[in-house]
Amino acid sequence: MNPFKKLSTYATTFLLGLLALVFAFPFYYVFVLATWRSQEVLAFPPHLWFGTGLLENWTSLFGRVPFATNFLNSLGIATLSTVSVLFFCTLAGFAFSKYQFKLKKTLFFFVIATMAIPGFLNIIPFYKMMVVFGWINTWLPLIVPGMAGAFGIFLMTQFLENALPFELLEAARIDGVGEFSMLWRVVFPLARAGMAVLGVVTFVGSWNNFTGPLILLPDLDATTLPVALSVLNSRVDNNMGALFLGNALTLLPLLVIFMLFSRQIISGLTAGAVKG
Amino acid sequence: MATTILAQRKRRMKAQQWAPYVFISPFFILFLVFGVYPIGYSIVSSFYNWKLIGNKAPVFIGFDNYVNVLTIDPFFLSAVVNTVFLLITGSLLQHVIALPLAILLNSRIVRAKELFKTAFFLPYITSTVSVVIIFGNLFDTNFGLINWVLGLFGLPHFRWSGEDLGIKVILSTILNWKFIGWNTVIYLAGLQAIPAEMYEAAEMDGASGFIKHWKITIPQLYPIIFLAVSLSIIGGMQVFEEPFVLTGGYDNMGGSGNSGLTAAFYLMFTAFKAYKIGKGSAIAWLLFITILGLNAINRQATRKYNQ
Amino acid sequence: MKRLCFMVVLGVVATALLTGQAIDPAKKYEVTVGAYGDLEKAYKAVIATDDFKKKFPNVTLKFQTSDFGGHHNRLTTVIAAGEQTNDIEALEVGYIAQFVQAGGLTDLNAAPFNAKKLSKDLVKFAVANATTEGGALIAMPVDIAPAVMFYRADLAKTAGLNMDNVANWDAYIAALKKLTDKSKGVFGIEHPAAVSAIPLNGGKGGWFQNNKPLEPKSKFLDALSLVQKVKAANVDGDLGAWSGPWSQAYLDGKIASIVNGAWFGGTLRTWLSPAGADGSSPWRVAYLPGKMMASLGGTYLSIPQTVPGPRKLVAYEILKYLTNSPVAQLTTFKEIDAFPALTTVYNDKVMDEPVAYYGGQKVRKIYADVALNIPENKVSEYDAVIGGIWNGAVNDVVSGKSTPQAAYDSALKKVIATIQ
Repeated sequence: MNPFKKLSTYATTFLLGLLALVFAFPFYYVFVLATWRSQEVLAFPPHLWFGTGLLENWTSLFGRVPFATNFLNSLGIATLSTVSVLFFCTLAGFAFSKYQFKLKKTLFFFVIATMAIPGFLNIIPFYKMMVVFGWINTWLPLIVPGMAGAFGIFLMTQFLENALPFELLEAARIDGVGEFSMLWRVVFPLARAGMAVLGVVTFVGSWNNFTGPLILLPDLDATTLPVALSVLNSRVDNNMGALFLGNALTLLPLLVIFMLFSRQIISGLTAGAVKG
Repeated sequence: MATTILAQRKRRMKAQQWAPYVFISPFFILFLVFGVYPIGYSIVSSFYNWKLIGNKAPVFIGFDNYVNVLTIDPFFLSAVVNTVFLLITGSLLQHVIALPLAILLNSRIVRAKELFKTAFFLPYITSTVSVVIIFGNLFDTNFGLINWVLGLFGLPHFRWSGEDLGIKVILSTILNWKFIGWNTVIYLAGLQAIPAEMYEAAEMDGASGFIKHWKITIPQLYPIIFLAVSLSIIGGMQVFEEPFVLTGGYDNMGGSGNSGLTAAFYLMFTAFKAYKIGKGSAIAWLLFITILGLNAINRQATRKYNQ
Repeated sequence: MKRLCFMVVLGVVATALLTGQAIDPAKKYEVTVGAYGDLEKAYKAVIATDDFKKKFPNVTLKFQTSDFGGHHNRLTTVIAAGEQTNDIEALEVGYIAQFVQAGGLTDLNAAPFNAKKLSKDLVKFAVANATTEGGALIAMPVDIAPAVMFYRADLAKTAGLNMDNVANWDAYIAALKKLTDKSKGVFGIEHPAAVSAIPLNGGKGGWFQNNKPLEPKSKFLDALSLVQKVKAANVDGDLGAWSGPWSQAYLDGKIASIVNGAWFGGTLRTWLSPAGADGSSPWRVAYLPGKMMASLGGTYLSIPQTVPGPRKLVAYEILKYLTNSPVAQLTTFKEIDAFPALTTVYNDKVMDEPVAYYGGQKVRKIYADVALNIPENKVSEYDAVIGGIWNGAVNDVVSGKSTPQAAYDSALKKVIATIQ
């Protein structure tokens, strides 16, 4: 490596490092504030280091809401949603990107168009249906309707467009692999990168969903973390320390999952597989 | 022997014909079961004077809701302007940062790539309420870190959440912070799929770094650019929760000068605060048409590949 | 089968009506209650009283509490979908107008409830707010919010002020100037907008006169001018209510006064300014400037129409108890400072007791006096929208973007365009 290149590597890395620090700072800040007592949270100049109120905030948080139960509900719903979305959307993405069939363009346009419908208003008729189905206070309305979401199909279609060479499919077909076994042998392994991204999106979306569980899971024991946090955030005990701790604890599982799987999620696109 | 192979091939051809329909069927089945009724409900209600609650029978009024929204409504136009402003500053301009960032993170000149990728992507996992609480705190007039830093440079405290422009700055900052990493990751995944040979060939022709990316990377990435920009448009035109939480809910209608009142916010206000579900639905469908229009433009722009 | 079910239900209702007994002592009942904020805390204290246990030994309450926005969101959605809610649903006064106009809640004046004779003991303006033009009572007020001025006696003393009988708003602003000490970070009042709703009775109704919006004009212009004057006096901390910095300023003792509903005393007592070791605080209570009578907040209890008949009857018994029993009303008051809607308890000796938190001041007398004199305001289905537009006008005056006249004109234009 020549000295000029070396220098530019260091400089670029340094600048990116600064940018990364800016991006990461708010996370650090939540955890810092979660350790200050409610009445100490705000200070000027602002806190940049941890305080000593963690225990107090913890007691206050867990005294008010069944945080552990809510945690398990959130985890269950998010996991089941993610698994089903990954499966069905990859299927559809495979079909839209690698097959020729009648009405393909129209059907694909239709799928994309449903994404542009502002969904907010649908909550009322949707709620009506869920009552008819007897699904209130169950996980089903938060999992089943979104199992083959338009977003996931769009994402997987665009990804597989690039990541899955026709030659590979043809080769598999010549080897006698059926259309369905193709899924396990070729499609899923090569779709890993896209699936990782879609998995994160689905999991995160489900984990952070507030309005859905608020209305569909009315019981505090049946509901999820964001709703539990809103109970905590009622005017009475506007306990800022507990609020930040609740936020931090809601964030923590996602952070851990993400850190553990970041390789798969971001760089799991194993170069070898994609480039055949 | 030859006949069996032929039969096999025939069977396979057949499977190849109906398999895609099986693969895409879950979406359409779920749409039929869960989507048709709610969507029909909102299309129908947009032609009625329909109160959200109560016993008054809805009155059919044709296109009156649409006409009302487009002509005399005092908020709709400014809500659209606010939305487009945020769409550009908060959702679209960031692609100009995200794509080069992805190229950089994909290149050989950067160390500790994994760490950077993780750091840039992390904001995506936060919930709106958390984000607004955090940024509301950072931009606070009296206690905020931003004003504190400005103070270090001798600048006066700015009322970020109290001024029209300040509200937009906070919202744009939040959207950029949350989604730059997301777009970067999408582009990174796309970059992985570009065959290295293409670059090697270009290098042999003596193309410099910039030309190389302009000539190869961008055209190769068209489907991914289309995807990422589409998602930004769809998301950006429907921004609701961020301004809603930041400016204190329905009562303040987007804060000072209605600066945070986006189209989706106004549609929610109309339906769930003013209880005019018919008019709210009309706004929703106008928004839907706008999004489709913008995406058509986007498709046109990335057409080269898609053709 | 459906028919049979219906007959059975009818039979149950009829028996209950005939015997006048909604609650069968041999059965166990669970009444579900949808609530927000600290209401659950108060009603839990109510059902823990001996009185409640004696009267309803076989009834338990189950709460669904959420934050303010979440609760009303859920309630609106479920009612709009025409589906079953909790048996009793709490409503903040700001949401009452919509339901009065549109329906969706059970008329408590109709048979079998016949609440008319009960509601005469409840404070008049609040009952009027929840009564439709056809005379239906769609919710019963459970607590009300007489507006008063809270001030810090220690700071007033230092400034040499007597805050007890402030003659008018100008005098109040003059006092705020003396209370403000920017060198110590002390502000007279949290935000100029804090005074904006008072002359409008909290903005709950009263937006129309003879079907004309924002009339009489002087009432609305005066309110905006008042905001402008407070802003110009440079006495506010520019603190948005319920924000972190806002609560911090109270905790640090940097806010000298505030005009708000009586319930705000509970907020001060429980977390913004907890009492010292002797149970007292520097806070005192006075009438609003010029002895203005206004209300700022309040809660109603309702039974949505979708609650099944037999459940309604049981729910009504509980609703009746919470709103009309002195024990329940006073327990709620003690627990969360939500002032009783039941006027008969205003003569209770509790009302005459000195309150330690306010240094032994007999503040409840003031609350009760204001409560009985709050003007009646007609609510309309447009209140929510007009309120939103009005907040924009106030905002424009505070930020100096508009004069009161210009802000009024622009708000009026928006209101007219919106309601037509």
